[in-house]
Parts: sequence; structure tokens; C-alpha cells
Amino acid sequence: MSASKMPTPQPAERVGAAPRNKVVDGPADEPDFRTLLNAWLESHRASLVDSLRRLARQPIGSFFTCLVMAVALSLPMGLSLLLDNVEKLGGSWQRAAQISLFLDMSAGERDGQALREQIAAMDDVSDAEWISREQALEEFQQLSGLGQALKELPENPLPGVVLVTPKEVDKAKLEALRQRLAELPKVEQAQLDLVWVERLTAILKLGDRFVFGLSLLLILALLLVIGNTIRLHIENRRAEIEVIKLVGGTDGYVRRPFLYMGALYGFGAGIFAWLLLAFGLDWLNDAVVRLAGLYGSDFALGGVPSSDGFSLLLGAVLLGYIGAWLAVARHLNELAPR
Amino acid sequence: MIRFEQVAKRYPNGHVGLHELSFRVRPGEFLFVTGHSGAGKSTLLRLLLAMERPTSGKLLLAGQDLSTITNAQIPFLRRQIGVVFQNHQLLFDRTVYDNVALPLQILGLSKPEIAKRVGAALERVSLSDKAAQAPGDLSTGQQQRVGIARAIVHRPALLLADEPTGNLDPRLAAEIMGVFEDINQLGTTVLIASHDLALIARMRQRMLTLQRGRLIGDGEAA
Repeated sequence: MSASKMPTPQPAERVGAAPRNKVVDGPADEPDFRTLLNAWLESHRASLVDSLRRLARQPIGSFFTCLVMAVALSLPMGLSLLLDNVEKLGGSWQRAAQISLFLDMSAGERDGQALREQIAAMDDVSDAEWISREQALEEFQQLSGLGQALKELPENPLPGVVLVTPKEVDKAKLEALRQRLAELPKVEQAQLDLVWVERLTAILKLGDRFVFGLSLLLILALLLVIGNTIRLHIENRRAEIEVIKLVGGTDGYVRRPFLYMGALYGFGAGIFAWLLLAFGLDWLNDAVVRLAGLYGSDFALGGVPSSDGFSLLLGAVLLGYIGAWLAVARHLNELAPR
Repeated sequence: MIRFEQVAKRYPNGHVGLHELSFRVRPGEFLFVTGHSGAGKSTLLRLLLAMERPTSGKLLLAGQDLSTITNAQIPFLRRQIGVVFQNHQLLFDRTVYDNVALPLQILGLSKPEIAKRVGAALERVSLSDKAAQAPGDLSTGQQQRVGIARAIVHRPALLLADEPTGNLDPRLAAEIMGVFEDINQLGTTVLIASHDLALIARMRQRMLTLQRGRLIGDGEAA
């Protein structure tokens, strides 16, 4: 240890202690909570502004990244919206799962109406319709083509019917409702076409599963797109990251601008996807209205509901954020100063 | 301030960076580490910055054992050290001001405090009028002074410099050394890795001499 020219000032006893004689002028006090909070907020603002500036500096690249993400987002969302519309087109699915209550032959108009009202008031019933014996016969005569033969019968053989439309198409719930209705007075038989309901449920489940599977695949694709984009940004800023780490930047500090960038990509993609869906459904609607008109229907496709649009936007931002987080987490160890 | 106790650094490929090195540095001291290329100067600095860990031995920096420091603690250790590189390591897409302000932004200081300290640091290296310029518009010597301003702006207890005058002519090199001396006079421990023996001799400070990772000399430069 050389002692020939030791400096005179009192030594700082620990790393982090400000030297007695300051290197530069100014107070060396530790910042208080308010200052730290303000600095933290300022750091977030700066990261957000910096990320926006970097995206704006590469408008074409940013646009196409958002567009690719938007296409991936709009596919499952668009399919889901189309399925909703198809359900409307085919009439309510619930109607296909109606329960027919055949009343005994002694039940008259007043019994039928009273029963209809009682059933319509049930929580799990969407609608109940009373068809009297006379109406039933008239319909049967018209539909069967056996009008003359039926007129020759000594009396009307058809019972009065209450058609019950349930609120939910669920096999177990429908069966429970059927059993409950079968126990009502004047009800001779409660019939539910479970095979049809099962088919319907299976079709719905298939549709749901297809949309779910497609969503998963496209979410994975989105994460890969955003991960790769953020990886390129990390590579471009490697020198800067190394300097930040050398002067004491934490992993969180390094990660922050990339997370904002991911969220901004997601936000852009969400907006584009919303627009794509809105314009896409509007474009399809002309053809659908023309087709529906040929069948005497006034059916038209609905647009993108605001709630779905905002969910899409939020989901896109979250996906962008998560994708960026995964990318930075994966590459952070490689960013150690050299 | 710094204590090396039988510190060795061996790399997986068999290369030995440092052989059982032992020495101490007192707080406020000014010393050079010299030696030929490959002597272990950079390895020594990298160990002090926790960029690498010793293979064996004990390395204490102000009482903190750097051989057992956790990854989460490293950023907070580095906030107490100023470091100057031969190639400056400046960010060329930012202004001189923003480069110098970086350690203070990381520390979370307020904007007025940052402005005050950056102004003082730039004044110390005589670059107050260059704050708004990009580092690319400055000369090599000026860039090195920006690097020094960034290294001292957060008032580190220890200042490390790796060949800080390597690319400079003798006049600029002497000027930079003058800045280091000023900083040291204010109480900061300064450790400079350099192979410029003529310059070191002029400074008349303590000098550690390394050769192939071994300490072969410890005394005032003659």
C-alpha cells in the first residue's frame, strides 16, 4: 500500500456513502418518498413517450406489425360474431329445445291459459304458448293434407298443448324442467326432443371449441409476433441496455420501455382489428341482406358491439404486454454488460 | 475500500485471468493498475463491477463480498461506482445532457436536482456549453470528458477507469488525468487501469503492476 501521497479527506466508509467532499456540488441527501414517487411516474412517462417516438420513427414497420396482429385478433373475434349472427338467423336456439306439454282431454281453454301463465312465470322459462285442441286440429288439418278425413272423425282426438321455451339450452337443466312440468296438474305428458337438443348442444360445443382452439392458436401466433418484434428492438438497443446496466439500472428499469412498446403494439392492433371487423361485417351485410330478402326475411348482420370492441382492445393491449414481457425475460440474461 | 484476498479468476476454457491476487485500497486513494495486454487489468475491473465473479478467494468492496453478491444486489452496487471506458460507451442518439443524466434518472432524482447535478458535472469537465449537443458532434477528448461527467455525476465513492486516455494525445491525456486528480481531491477513490507508464510516472501515485494475472509490483510509480 503506498502512502506517499494519500489524499487528506476523510474516507467514505461504505460504498454508497457520499464522499465528505462532494465530487459535484449539491445536497447528497437520500430522496424522500414523494420525490421517488414523482421520479417513478416520470420514468414511466418517459418510457411511454420514448416507446411512442420509436414506433413513430418506423411507421411502416410499426404499421405492418400492428396489421399482422390485427388480422390474427380479428379472425376468432369475427368468427364468434358471425356465429352470433347465424344463431339469430336460424331463429332462437331455445325454440329448437321446446318442451311440449300435452294436457289431458278434459283440460279446457281456461285450464290451458291458467297453466300457460303459471309456466311463463317460472324463472327458467323464456316463453310459454297455449295451443287449444281446436287450434291443434286446424293446424294438423292444414299441414297433414288429411283435412277431409279428419273432419269425418266423431270428435277431436288432439289434446291441448302448452309449448314451453326454456331460457337455457342445457341437457340436464332441460330434463329437470321437463320433470317439473310433467308433475303439474292437467299435464298428461311432457315431451322433450332430447336427441335434437343433444345434436344442437353438440353443434354449439363444436362451434365453441373451434373458436376456442383457433383463439389459442392465434394468441400463440400473436405472442410470437410481438416477441420477435420486441427481440429486434432489444437487439437494436443492446449497447444502450449494457450502459444502463453498468450505471445501476435494474432489470425492471431495462424492461419498462419494452413493455410499453408491447402494449402500444397491442393497442394499435386492437384498433385495427376493431376497424377490420366493423368494415368487414358492414361489407358482408349487403350480400346477407340481399340473400335474406330472397327468403322473405329482413335479417341483417349486427355490427361489433361496443363491449366486444373494448374487450378486444383490452385483450390486445394485454397480449402485447405479455408478449413483450416474455421476450424481455428471455433475453435479459443475454444483456449483461460485456 | 477494496480488499482482494487470494482472488483468482479462471475461465472455463482454462485461461487464468488472475492468480491469487491480494492487495488493499484505502478510501480516498488514487492508484493505477498497469501491465501489458492480457495482464489482468480488465479482469480486475470487471470483478469490481460484478460483471464477473471470482473463482476463489474473497473480494470485498466496502465490506460487501462480491463473490457472494446476488444478481438483484448488483444494480445497487453499481450505483455507488462510477466507471469510465476507453471507448466512452456513450449513447449517440441522446444529447450530452441526457447521457450524463442517465445515472441520476436511474437513481430516481427529481428533474431540478438532475439538472443541477448534471450542470455541475459538465462544468467540472469544462463542457457546460456542450449539453445540448450529440456526443457524435464532439471530439474524442470531449467524448471522454462526457464519459467522466457521467461517471461522477452521482457522486460515487469509487471511480474506475479502463484505459481512459488510450485514444488521446499526450496533451489531452494529461488534461483528463487532471480531472481525475480533482475528483480524487474531493474524496473519491480512483482506480485507473492503464498501460501508459510515462503518464503514470508523471502522476506519482500508487501503482499495482500485473503480469499474466499475478501482482508483481505495488508501490509509487517512479
